[in-house]
Order: sequence, then structure tokens, then C-alpha cells
Amino acid sequence: MTDARRTELEGLISRVALGDRDAFDALYDATSAKLHAICLSVLKDRPEAEETLQEVYIRVWQSAARYASNGLSPMTWLITIARNRAIDRLRARASRPATAPEDAAAAVPSEEPSPESATIMAQERRMLHECLSQLAGPQAGAVRAVYLEGVTYADLAEREGLPINTVRSWLRRSLLRLKDCVTQ
Amino acid sequence: MTEDTPLTPLEHDEALAAELALGLLEGPEAQAAVDRLSTDPAFAQAVRDWQERLAGLAEDLTPVMAPARARQGIRQRLGHALPPLETDPLERAPWWRGPMGVLTGLLAVAAVAAFLWLPGQDVPATPEYGAELVAADSDLRVDARVEGREMRLALQSGPAAEGRDWEIWWIGDDGAAISLGVMPRAGEMRMTLPEGLEPSNATSIALSDEPEGGSPTGQATGPVVAVAELTRL
Repeated sequence: MTDARRTELEGLISRVALGDRDAFDALYDATSAKLHAICLSVLKDRPEAEETLQEVYIRVWQSAARYASNGLSPMTWLITIARNRAIDRLRARASRPATAPEDAAAAVPSEEPSPESATIMAQERRMLHECLSQLAGPQAGAVRAVYLEGVTYADLAEREGLPINTVRSWLRRSLLRLKDCVTQ
Repeated sequence: MTEDTPLTPLEHDEALAAELALGLLEGPEAQAAVDRLSTDPAFAQAVRDWQERLAGLAEDLTPVMAPARARQGIRQRLGHALPPLETDPLERAPWWRGPMGVLTGLLAVAAVAAFLWLPGQDVPATPEYGAELVAADSDLRVDARVEGREMRLALQSGPAAEGRDWEIWWIGDDGAAISLGVMPRAGEMRMTLPEGLEPSNATSIALSDEPEGGSPTGQATGPVVAVAELTRL
């Protein structure tokens, strides 16, 4: 994401926080196709993805005022809301206990100055794919499936024919390796 | 790090942050991690870093336009738009869309026109409030006006210093201050009042001196430079 786009989206979100409907429309135009893609990736069902997308933007409208202080880049904030709502719905469908409200992290004010951390994070993003390709195939696939499809440890264990604890152990190590790689 | 050595406490925390960001935790473990967010800033930052890092995966997804009705649905649910008129041709037109409706409509227009032309009569208007915010020790002056649920704030003079912003606060009769964002550096801004904010004579509007973009904490961190009560106009 370019700095210009980041600034544009931040500007729109701050206007949405003031109840600016034109800004809300513009934000929807700029981001809804991406967020819809995330809902679809997790839910794999058009009507449900569409319904979830609506919930996502209603949440964006309601919580835009709290965005500025959380230190996330605007796209990450939007993506996280979309992903969490989609996963909530996915797990409700499977009558699993609701997912942990990860949005809570976004609600805690950040102490880090966001522009600098944004630059660092942009570098890490560029490294992400390179680093994922350095993981073994199944591990990289598992990270993607967990993030993009809302797969759980229980799903992974079933898929791999391994105990949950074993799967958890190797996924945790894969995540740590991924972080070491992108932050080096 | 090999496959069999146990994770160090730092690695354990990092893995936990990743798992929370991914939504992999369940039950009491998930609850404990969520609770920790509010007491452990480093942990909360680690979770946000993971959200930021992993969002790169989503940015690669090919965008898929949602049908227009999705936006319409959002607008309706937020009360931003009326539902589209029914256009089902098989449905009988309601009486007000038939000839009687046209007649009634014309009568209504005539009635309103007559009402407007009657001298000395005011059109019933939505309640209007105003306030003038003036700083004691600078040339800052802001005019605030509320019409129904629309609020307008105009900076007449005295923009905030470079790198600072005037943050606008709505102070209701319970004394709680709610941020309405920051003043533009010139000209005026309009907004629709968020739900729960009801203008009355007990409402005050205040401006505080904050870092650019507004208070980082959501509560005023700088001095209040101007405050005024809304008065019914």
C-alpha cells in the first residue's frame, strides 16, 4: 500500500468518524471489493459473504472514531474487521464456540508512532511471501489456510491425521520462524 | 530453535500473540489472552504486529465486487437511505399512487403553499441551537450550530498552531465529554450527530488543544481553550 493510499484511507476513516456519509461511500468504493473477497475466502458462500460484508461496514461506521488511536494501518484495520466477522460467522455455522474477539487488540491504544511502524510493517509485508516460501509446504499452506479460510487447530489435526497438540506445536514454530524471517 | 526444545517464555508470548491474531485460541485460553491485551501493552502491540503482518495475505486476494444491493442494505440498516420504491408491476398501486393520490398530492401542495404564504406564520422547524466559542487568551472563535441532528462548526479565526489541532468535545448533561473530531484549519465542517447525543440547553461544546489529529487517548490531554453552552435559537 502506498503512502498516498494510506493517507487517503486514513482521511476517509477520520471523516467517517464524524458521520460523513460521503466519506463512508468513498471508503466503501475504495475497499469493499477487497473486504468482500476476504469474506468469500473464509465463508465460500456468496449470500453469507454479502451479509457479512454489510455487518463489516456497519461496524466500520460505528467504530471509526476509535480507529485513530489503535496504530493499525487503515487497510489492516479494515481487513481485520472483515476477517473476524467472517470467522465469527463461519464458527457460528459449525456451532463452534465463538472465536476470540481479536478486535480487542485494535481497541487498545497504541503507544507506537504509527508512521514509523508503518514503514517497518511495509518492509515486513514485502518479505512475507519470500519467507512463507521458505517454510515447508504444509506449514506455509497451514498459515494461509488459517488466515484466509479460518481453519482451526482441530481442522488442521484432522487434515494431517495428527493430534491437535502436535499440529499446534508445529504451527507455532512455523509462525515464529516466519516472524524471524520477516523481521531480520 | 529445533523441533524438540520447548519454547522460551518470549517465544511462547510471541506465539500466543500470533494465535490470538489468527483466532486460533479457544475457551479460557482465548479469554486470558484477550484480558492480557488491556494490561500488557507489549503483548497488545505484538498482536497488532501480527495483524499487520498477516494482512499481507489478504491484500493478495483478487478483489470481488459485491452486488449493489449490499451497499443499499448497509445504508438502510444505518438509516442513511430509504428503501427503493417497490416496482413490482403485478402489485396493485397503492391508493396514493393512483388518481386519488395525485389529487391528494395537489391538495397537499396547495395547503403547504397557502401555509407558507400566510403572513406572520412560521413554518414549524426542527429545533435549532447555537453556540459561540471564544478563547480567552487568543483570537480563536468558532461558531457552532445544530439543526436537528446536523451540526455545523465554522472556524471564524484562530486556527490551531502547527502540529496541533483543536479537538471538539460534546459535553452532555451527565458531564461526559465525547469527541466530535478536530476542527478544520480553515472554513467549516458538518457532521451528523452520533446516536445518543441529544442537543439541549444542558449541552456544552468545548475545544481542547491536542496533538495533530486529536487526542491520542480519546480523552482531552491538552487544556480546554474555549467552551460554550448550546442555546436554543
